[in-house]
Amino acid sequence: MDAPTGAVNRTSVLRTSVRAFRGRLIGGTVLLCSHQAGEALVPVLVGVVIDTAIATGDVTALIGWLLVLALDFVWLSYSYRFGARLVLHADLHADARLRLEVARRLLDQRGGAEAGRLPGGITSVAVADAKRVAVVNFWVPTGLAALAAVAVAAVSLLRISVPLGLLILLGTPPLLWLVQLVGRPLERRSGAEQERAARAAGTAGDLVSGIRVLKGIGAERAAAERYARTSGTALSATLRATRAEAGFLGTVELANGLFLAVIAFVGGGLALSGSITVGGLVAAVGLAQFLVGPLQTTGLAGARLAQARASAGRIADLLDAAPAIGPGREQAEPAGPVGRAADGSTSGAADGDGARPVGGLGLRELRHGTLDGLSLEITAGQMLGVVATDPADASALAACLAREVEPDGGRIAVDGSALHDLAPDVARGRVLVAAHDSHLFTGTLLDNVLAGRAASTHTDTAMRAARADQAADTLPDGQDTEVASRGSSLSGGQRQRVALARALAADPPVLVLHDPTTAVDAVTEAEIAAGIAAMRRGRTTVLLTTSPALLGVTDRVVVLSSGRVHADGTHASLMDDPDYRAMVTG
Amino acid sequence: MSAPATTGPAGDRASSGPDRLLPIADGARVRAVLRELVRPRRRVAVLAVAALVAGSAVSLLAAPLLGRIVDTVAAQGSAPRDEGTGVLLGPVLGLAGIALGQGLLAFVGVALIARVGETMLARLRERFVERALVLPLARLERAGSGDLTSRVTDDVKVVGTAVRQALPQFARAAFLIVLTLVGLAVLDWRFLLGALLAVPIQVATARWFLNWSGPLYTEQRIAGGAQQQQLLDTAGGVATVRAFRLHDEHLGRVRERAQALVTIGLRLVRLQTRFFGRLNAGELVGLVGVLVAGFLLVRSGTATIGVASAAALYFINLFTPINIVLFQLDAAQSAIAGLRRIVGVADLPDEDRPADPAVPAGGGVRAGDLTYSYVDGHPALSGVDLDVAAGTRVALVGTSGAGKSTLAKLVAGMHDPSGGSVAIGGAALAEQSPDGRRRTVALVTQEVHVFAGSLADDLRLARPDATDERLRDALDTVGALGWASALSDGLDTVVGDGGHTLTVVQSQQLALARLVLADPPVAILDEATAEAGSAGARVLEVAAAAALRGRTGLVVAHRLTQACDADLVVVLDAGRVAEQGRHEDLVQAGGRYADLWGAWSGVRRDRDG
Repeated sequence: MDAPTGAVNRTSVLRTSVRAFRGRLIGGTVLLCSHQAGEALVPVLVGVVIDTAIATGDVTALIGWLLVLALDFVWLSYSYRFGARLVLHADLHADARLRLEVARRLLDQRGGAEAGRLPGGITSVAVADAKRVAVVNFWVPTGLAALAAVAVAAVSLLRISVPLGLLILLGTPPLLWLVQLVGRPLERRSGAEQERAARAAGTAGDLVSGIRVLKGIGAERAAAERYARTSGTALSATLRATRAEAGFLGTVELANGLFLAVIAFVGGGLALSGSITVGGLVAAVGLAQFLVGPLQTTGLAGARLAQARASAGRIADLLDAAPAIGPGREQAEPAGPVGRAADGSTSGAADGDGARPVGGLGLRELRHGTLDGLSLEITAGQMLGVVATDPADASALAACLAREVEPDGGRIAVDGSALHDLAPDVARGRVLVAAHDSHLFTGTLLDNVLAGRAASTHTDTAMRAARADQAADTLPDGQDTEVASRGSSLSGGQRQRVALARALAADPPVLVLHDPTTAVDAVTEAEIAAGIAAMRRGRTTVLLTTSPALLGVTDRVVVLSSGRVHADGTHASLMDDPDYRAMVTG
Repeated sequence: MSAPATTGPAGDRASSGPDRLLPIADGARVRAVLRELVRPRRRVAVLAVAALVAGSAVSLLAAPLLGRIVDTVAAQGSAPRDEGTGVLLGPVLGLAGIALGQGLLAFVGVALIARVGETMLARLRERFVERALVLPLARLERAGSGDLTSRVTDDVKVVGTAVRQALPQFARAAFLIVLTLVGLAVLDWRFLLGALLAVPIQVATARWFLNWSGPLYTEQRIAGGAQQQQLLDTAGGVATVRAFRLHDEHLGRVRERAQALVTIGLRLVRLQTRFFGRLNAGELVGLVGVLVAGFLLVRSGTATIGVASAAALYFINLFTPINIVLFQLDAAQSAIAGLRRIVGVADLPDEDRPADPAVPAGGGVRAGDLTYSYVDGHPALSGVDLDVAAGTRVALVGTSGAGKSTLAKLVAGMHDPSGGSVAIGGAALAEQSPDGRRRTVALVTQEVHVFAGSLADDLRLARPDATDERLRDALDTVGALGWASALSDGLDTVVGDGGHTLTVVQSQQLALARLVLADPPVAILDEATAEAGSAGARVLEVAAAAALRGRTGLVVAHRLTQACDADLVVVLDAGRVAEQGRHEDLVQAGGRYADLWGAWSGVRRDRDG
């Protein structure tokens, strides 16, 4: 892969994601801190009620302090409500923003973001990683608020008693650290076990999605038995994991309980000696229990930040991926005249306003992959068949024409202008390559054929030419039938016909069709060949195929061998060559 | 909540065509299945509950002990102050003992309850998969593949998460709440009364929350799924997006889905924060209740300050478990919905096994007057007769919709014919045992699926006891041994979802290798070579011919070259047999097939004479 551009990195992704919501985050942090302070005050106030009202029997004090308690609840409740809303809103918006950014890079016309990544991997970056980075907007304020809570609790404790306060404040962090120390190996093991269990559980989904294949070879029982084994393995892994988790939980309980005993002992001693009141003791015990929460939260916030850094790294890698092709020259104005080629030649019919490119195509000394200096002139309006003895030649040619790659050498010119001088978008507007594995998108069959354009009689003609109308007729809602993702709800033949109709409907100056009818039966294929010929009459069309039905409607056929033109003629004349004949009917 | 036992055909037609979906079990059925699953591990379950209850009980002893310390201190208030901390030793050691017991019981209780829950879940999902896999194809197709897939992935996951995370937490919190309330009552029933003031608020809050959150969570899940699908779709087809210059449209789609998720998220945040606000109100009311009860009881001399302190501490410690229980109610609700859908399938009857199954002899195929309709009144196949001698090859030819695939499925026993019958080796398919039928006939279609796992495991689905040697032979037969051996770990290479990606041609070769391993006397190939490009198709045709050697073969052919070499060509048109005979004879006859052949071979003059 090419070197990344280095413009984006982990830190910049994190920083931008947080900075965009600065205002909300500051407001949210203040409110969440205020909420934690309110929570910390609850045990303190309960201690005060015990001291001033319950111990004395003073009704006024009781009512007064209960009112204070109520005010504290109102305060903490509303602080949380609006604080949490601010930071969670920031989290949600940051998530959407990151996802869009990933999508924008993925959809960049110069490509390259998908190189070396599976669709599932890209989706996971756009969904899971974006979420993990965005959630920093929640965890930073929450962590800060937890620290504030620790501070409030500390002040309260120190006010009750300096030695007891110090014991709790200095004792709690090492205690939590110890618990973490015991817990971490357990947690790590449990994570690995859980992952194994989850993967095993995924097998069920995999078997079920291949259910037709299983039924085809009568492997239902074998598959069920295999699943039972996998599920058993997953179960033992899960049980080991849950035992580890339960052990961790038990350790936490034990540690907290012992610490409480120590506090009770020291605090009780202090109360006995009269250094603190009874209410002070109750408050101290309550605060000690309260402290565990915010301190754990701080630890958790740290762990989430570490996770976010790793995710930000993956997002940065994708955003920073090197483009597969150059930008071309300045973005040419869509309806304007075609630019002059670098060598000074002009494109004949494309000059002047409103003239449309005619689609003359010239390949000179083209080298890429298996192509070894391929030169070929295709006059505007010609229907050319290209028969590649090595399928790799056809794929390489399709990739170069689609401007998916920069050729290693040589050049391609459309109407005189070099393809690589054009902005990718403009180039693909001139030359449309309908790949063999062309993708159908979710949406209706008609949406797929329209590919973003408005419906017209032209669409209908294209549907008929590709026999996609016939495919639509056999579907429950005709051309309004929803196509499942990747067209998986359609048969291979239906899929190909829809993809072909889409390519024909786009009506580009140059259309390149790569093996468009391999999954179509012979009768339909013959009809489609006639349809393509009628629709593309006078428009440059390149058919990369070995199908005799398609080759039969071409004006001219070239045979590629070892990356160069090996033979050039008409289909009828070439049929007299036994090698050619074997290749196309064999 | 009174759904019928299983949503049968006449079930609730009112709600969007559920008669097509797979059954959903009702609450009673779910409970019955759970009881059945818990029975073998009743002892562990009882132990788990006992440990959790004991753990909660032990933890409740802490507050009275703290109360004792308070009382000791209060009693000392006027007495001399140098008695030392010796009086505290008893309660403090008690607290340490509680810590120990609490830790130990938490460990035992949580480990055991997880064990019971996880084991039950494992047995349930195994039964689910077993029943799902033997569902008749027609039933599956009626329900749509999404129904079963979403049950096996989403529902199993939701229930699994609930069992793994919610169940132990929920169980502990629930026991703790109940026992704390008991503890309050033991201190004095009036403390309990004070605490219970919070209950109406909490119940109302929980109801209100579940009412709104359920649909909202569902909406969020759906929107999240839609976003994920959208991104997968765009990422998978990004080259096509570029070719057709659809970036703006796709970016718009991503933006739209992201926006929808934000909108739902904002509504959920609003709901959750209000939920916690109302719970705070409940906490305040209960706390005030307990404190006022303490005040009155201490004033009247019924309780000591220590007891009142203990009651207050009890109640403060309830905040967290109550939040846990109420917040998990939602997970519990979705888990129950998921469970109903899982049990609905796991509860289906097993396959019928005829008492005296017919056993086929040989591989001759005979079909008489076969008729099949996907939709009543629109037969996809009518009155088709077919007679194929054992060991010969038949090519089925015709346009899309002529009925080729339907005929293939009927002969393979995937669908039961609406009329007529299929016999293989002299035994009618309907009278054979399901396992017998699986050994007799296999169908390979253009649908490629590489099973996730090692290549060897994938192949062994067809023959679980096959040796590595036999697997290699099968791969060799279909011309796949070369690339398979070249994989990084050979036959142990992980392929399929999440593993090494095989090309379409390789995947289809794998399917043919499975066929070789399954080794049935009759094999049907339905456009098994169609998905590959023209070069790949040729590789696959060779592989298919090798895989069919020694079997009766029925081949649905796209490329007429496959028909040339067949012993018999059957031309279907609109669900009927239009022509049949040998390739040469049909070409000579100058009928439909001759036209097809002319179009295919590109030879308009007859050169084949």
